[in-house]
Order: sequence, then C-alpha cells, then structure tokens
Amino acid sequence: MGTETKSQTTTAQKFQALILDIFFGIYFVVTLHRVFYYQVLLSLRKLPPVTVEIVLLYIGIGTILGLALFVLNASPGKLIFRQLPDIPWKKAVAEHFLWIIGVLTIATGWVVTRVSILDFFSQEGLAGAKRIFSALLSPEWSILPQALLAIVETIYLALMATLFALPVAFILSFFTARNLMRQSPITLGIYTVLRVLVNFTRSIEPLIWAIIFTVWVGIGPFAGTLALMVHTIASLTKLYSEQIENVDPGPIEAIEATGAHPMQVIWFAVVPQIVLPFLSFTIYRWDINVRMATIIGLVGGGGIGTLLMQYQGLAQWHEVGLLVLIIAIVVWIMDYLSARIREALV
Amino acid sequence: MALIELRKLNKIYPNGVHALVDVDLTVQEGEFLVVIGLSGSGKSTLLRCINRLIEPTSGQILYRGQDVTHIQGKDLRQYRKKIGMIFQQFNLIKRRTVLLNVLTGALGSLPVLPSILERFPDNLRQEAMEKLRIVGLEDKWNVRVDALSGGQQQRVAIARSLMQHPEVLLADEPVASLDPATSHSVMKYLKQLNTDYGMTIICNLHFLSLVRTYGTRVVALKQGKLIFQGKPEEITQEWFKEIYGEEAEEVEIA
Repeated sequence: MGTETKSQTTTAQKFQALILDIFFGIYFVVTLHRVFYYQVLLSLRKLPPVTVEIVLLYIGIGTILGLALFVLNASPGKLIFRQLPDIPWKKAVAEHFLWIIGVLTIATGWVVTRVSILDFFSQEGLAGAKRIFSALLSPEWSILPQALLAIVETIYLALMATLFALPVAFILSFFTARNLMRQSPITLGIYTVLRVLVNFTRSIEPLIWAIIFTVWVGIGPFAGTLALMVHTIASLTKLYSEQIENVDPGPIEAIEATGAHPMQVIWFAVVPQIVLPFLSFTIYRWDINVRMATIIGLVGGGGIGTLLMQYQGLAQWHEVGLLVLIIAIVVWIMDYLSARIREALV
Repeated sequence: MALIELRKLNKIYPNGVHALVDVDLTVQEGEFLVVIGLSGSGKSTLLRCINRLIEPTSGQILYRGQDVTHIQGKDLRQYRKKIGMIFQQFNLIKRRTVLLNVLTGALGSLPVLPSILERFPDNLRQEAMEKLRIVGLEDKWNVRVDALSGGQQQRVAIARSLMQHPEVLLADEPVASLDPATSHSVMKYLKQLNTDYGMTIICNLHFLSLVRTYGTRVVALKQGKLIFQGKPEEITQEWFKEIYGEEAEEVEIA
C-alpha cells in the first residue's frame, strides 16, 4: 500500500512538472518575442496588435518547447520538483533555461513599469521634487487643530473597526481551525467554505472595500470603519485559527482524562494557550489599521486621509506637509507602543 | 473479577498504521503493571484506549465487568473520572499556579459554569493542598507551574490526578523526560500510591531497571502485538532481544 501511494504522488508531481514546463515554454516565447525582440532589440514604442493567430502561435510554440524539455529530461519543472535524473548536461540546460526566464522577467518588469532613469534625473523632474520637498519640509502649522481632530477620528476609526471585528473573528476562528473541524465531513465542509470565504475577503485590499462601502453607506468615516472591519475580520480569523491549530494537544488530553465536560476542556486547556497570542495579534492589527485608516481616507473613508486628499487636490503642499508629519508621528508612536505591549505579553 | 479486561483490541489509525493488533489483556486490582516496548510499539495507544482518549477500531474494553467500549457523553466522563492519567510531557496548564492545576483534576465532579468562573469550593481547595502535601509540594501552591523543574511538574500532575480519587492511574512514560535521580523520586510516589492506597497502576516505561524495581507484572508490546506477559524477573536476555531487537543493549539507570 505504501508503494502505491508513493507512485501516485509522483504521477501527480510529474503532471505538475509538465504543467510548469508548458507554462515556462509559453512564457518564454511571449516574453522573448514581445519584450526582448520588439522592445529591447527593435526599441519599438508602439507594439503590433495581438491577434488570435499570434496568440495561438505563442501557445503552440511554447507548448512544443515545454513538452520537448519535459520529454528530453532537461525539464525546469522536474528540476524544481527534484525529479530530474542526474545527467549533468541536461541539468545544465534546465538550469540555464531558468536563468534566461529570470533575466527575461526582469527585462519585462523594466519595460512594463516604464523605468526611466532619464525622467528621474531630468531638469524638470528635479525642480518638481525640490518644490514639493521644500513645501513638505516647511509645514503650515495654522491647520494643526483641524489636522489633530482628523487624526483622532482616524485612530478611533481604526479602534472601532478592530473592536467590532474582534468577537466575529474570535468565533469564526474556532470554525476555521482544522484540528477542531476535521471530525466529520459536515464540520470539514463548514471549515472549507469558511476558509475560502475568509481568504477571498482577505485578498481584497481594504482600499477596495472602502470604495465599495462609500457607494453603499456614503462617503465618511463609517464607510472607512466598515472597510477596515471586513478586512480585519478576515485577517484576524486567519491569525487566530492558525494559533488554535498550533495549540499543544497535551493539556487537552490531560483535562479530558479527568472526566471534564468539553466546555471545561476548551476553557482550561485551549483558552489559556491562545489568549495572549490573540491579544497580541489584536493590538498588532489595531496598529496596522491606524496605518490603513490614513490611506482609506483617500477614497473618502473619513479621517486624516480625506483631509490629505483635499489639500493635495488644491496643491497646497505646505498643508500636506503638516498632515504627512502628523501621520508619521502617530504611526511611529502606535508602532512603538504596540511592539512594547506585545513584548510584555509574550 | 478483573478490574480491566481488553478483548481482541485493535487500533488502526487513518494513516494506515496498525498500532494495536488483537490485544488481550487482563489487569487485576492493586497491580503495578508495567508496559514495555520500543517507541511506536503501541504502548501509548494501549493506555489511551483504556480511558478512551483514543477510540479502538475493534474489540472490547471491560471495566469491572462492564462494557465501556462505546459509552458516550456523561457516562464516558463518569468513567474517565475513575482513571487518573499522567504524561511524559506533564501536560499542565503552564501559565497558571500549582494549586489551580491540581484543582483541574476535580473538573469531572464540578458543574460547568461555576468551574469556568473558577469558583472552587473551600473544601476542594483544602483537599488540593492535602494532595500537594502527599507529593511534597505544599509550599509551592502559589507558584506558576512553568517555574518548576520537570520532576516537580510531574508531581503536580500526580496531585492533579489524585483529585479524581482514581481507582486506576495510567502513567504514559512518566519519567522519560526526567534525569535518573528525579525519575526514581517520581517512581517512588507511584509505588507509594500502589502500596499505601492500593491504587492500580499501569505504567509505560523505557528502562528495564526501573521495571524490575517497581513493577509487579510486565507486559511487552512489539509492533502492536502483546508478545510477553510475566514477572519482571522473567525477562531473560532472550526475551530482551526479542522485545527490543538484536542490536539492543541494556542500559542501567542509576
């Protein structure tokens, strides 16, 4: 039975290696042609249009290339999954192919993000940089009261988002902890659905949630709070449940062996192990939320970010300078405090 | 009537490991039974099947003649109360005091809500102090257990199990993470419970020298099968090689 499962996993791994090879093949052909040939060799500003024929051609050539490498055992996919037979020259081919892919990727990145040393050091550009930095460095102090009020709003916004998220995440975390949920197919189903939901929610940035909620409840701090809350629930649930998955099962056995009720087992054997990490994660999250809350204001989520957006729109850089200064100080203080508190806890 | 009787007990884990194979075992009241065998021979599984921390795949567990193989809920908790257990890693609540850890031994007889609020009756606190006196730790009652040495932690674990008024004590490698001197001190406490209180002890051990000093009867497991039952002195060189493999050499614990 042991050998059977082993051969099964290698078949699966072989398949993965093949998929990877085909992907590398297509990726190689596309980047070589469109980036290296057109933009580096020919320095074209405007690329020829992508047609269906050319896409099919890319896929075709790339697949043949990937298959060839796979069959000839010079396969970068097999190299990555450590199933390449030990033949030096074939290994060298696979390794060099991966290096070329790496270089092509950096070249593509360079082209796509339009890195331009010329723009960075141009006369005009440097003058602009000088203008904005000198303005930022001489902040306009007259708007201090307004700015302080806004940052207080931001801190409370972050606090409320964290506090609202906490109980929801706490309860959800028990249902998304694999060690507690693998007992029956039903609980495992609940676990899987919740896990997918949580991961999906978490992968959407708070900024995008803020845009959604400004449409839903209108522009203002409430939209910002909701956006942060949703994201915080998702990420705290993940952190909490990972902590629950890591609890030492020993005390659970010991308390079960005394004839204790399941509630007593959770209270005396699980909770003491998770309460401090939970607290630590929560404070850390509040700290992150203050930082995020300043950004969320940019899309109308309230707080100091909204103020920043207004002054930036009017190109009043001295006022912007003060706001940036205050954000920096508050974020630094929060960062320091949360680190100290977490140190004291663990 | 035998205290514990295991009939054709089998345990197959989900990963396919056959940890117990048709184990038949009878434990009489008042015995100090030692279970020996290599790591992975099924000793821990056997112990955990007795108090049903692990569910056997097939077979029967009888306690004083009553079938406890499939009892659930309140019955199971009542049954577990009669069987104390201590562990290689002590399994205490690390950040709490010695006294609270001992009190958790009584959870099986306490209503859920008051116990969660940690309202333990005074007589229970006094009893916990008495148990601490038995293991010689009464002056440490207010110390956090993670500040204690390994041997002291194991004695706290013994005191905790005593709060259950157990008829049987299961000891899963109780001295495997302790130094030789501390090992003897812990084993002496177990022996004392056996002789002075008539408590039945079932103990997994690594060291044969400890087996000879403390056990009244020995059983040996090999790859999940019970291959030896007898008196400690009946383990000859041949049996030793059979149980631990040809390569094994016996080491003495001081």
